[in-house]
Amino acid sequence: MSNSKTLTFAFMDPPFESERTVTFFRLLDAALEKNANVRVFAYEGAVALSFSKQAPHGNAVHGLNREEEAHPLSKDWVAALQQKATGKGLTFEWINCGLCVDERGVNDVIDGCGRGGPPDLWRYASKAFNTLTIGTR
Amino acid sequence: MSDYLFIQSQDPFTEVRTEHQFALAGQLYDAGHNVRLLLVQNGVTPAHKGARSVHFDKLLKWGVPVLADNFSLKQRQILEKDLKENIASSSLDTVIDALLDGEKVIWN
Amino acid sequence: MKALQVIDQAFRTTTEEQDDTILWLTQSMRGAGGHLTVLLSGHAVYYATQHQTQPALTIAGWAQTQPANLPRDIGNLLHSGVPVFAVTEDLEERGLDRQILLDGVQAVSRQGLVNLYESVDQIWQW
Repeated sequence: MSNSKTLTFAFMDPPFESERTVTFFRLLDAALEKNANVRVFAYEGAVALSFSKQAPHGNAVHGLNREEEAHPLSKDWVAALQQKATGKGLTFEWINCGLCVDERGVNDVIDGCGRGGPPDLWRYASKAFNTLTIGTR
Repeated sequence: MSDYLFIQSQDPFTEVRTEHQFALAGQLYDAGHNVRLLLVQNGVTPAHKGARSVHFDKLLKWGVPVLADNFSLKQRQILEKDLKENIASSSLDTVIDALLDGEKVIWN
Repeated sequence: MKALQVIDQAFRTTTEEQDDTILWLTQSMRGAGGHLTVLLSGHAVYYATQHQTQPALTIAGWAQTQPANLPRDIGNLLHSGVPVFAVTEDLEERGLDRQILLDGVQAVSRQGLVNLYESVDQIWQW
């Protein structure tokens, strides 16, 4: 959709530690639903959100095996958003801050996620219609 | 005049800074700007009837429109009828619409 | 496009990252041509009064050799043309009002934030 506006989001939280992570992904989904192109700059802990080696597990406390528990993984959310964007003719770009990736050792990311740095955040934000940053605590 | 949407995730029961965040929203409102707050996550907790928060209730009296995210309310089993007056439930579409309208959208 | 970087927390990463990650991000974006302003609020007003490097951490036999140098980092931002503000009431309520602000850091009142927020196109709260 060539007339769609582009929104940039910057985020800092890793998976599994904060309610902010869920709200962030809900925002990305809502943005695509509203036919916006989306660009994400993942900073600090957020670079782990696209880590390809995330793995689900069973839950003995719940009494469920791995398949039954169907544990959410943020990498699957990223992939789902990529697919949704493609299906709607929108763009969904995801850049991880490279130094943040290196220090955490989460270099293996799912397809479609790239590596960059702060100049990319400024580039994304300068060219987008609007930007939302969500810091961590 | 500018348009501001504050996404309020911090709550006054655990985060002292909310007093100042609410005051800034009120000051921008008094200066004639269009200001709204969307409560999300634990930010919805002072919206429950009977919840005691002087600063949040002051913000409501100030007249700043306050919305509460449906999903966050459902997580906490807060129904519409449980909300204080003048608080409407909403969705995160509010955020996207604000961004697409060029508003200044700020995460607290 | 002018963006205000609001830093409301402090010392969260200064030991492990050897800087404040948002001051660092801001300096990097400035290097890429960003039009930026920094607002230090909450505990981050401490950064406006720092005059020494951070203490070096030691854990077992491990010793830090490059602790964060916040006065240097703030100075570099100012030197690169990034205005830096600190909220007056946040300084005062922390008993910092008698401390000397780093050269070039400007004090702004909570009421003055209205004009500061209006002077930029976007507010990036971290």
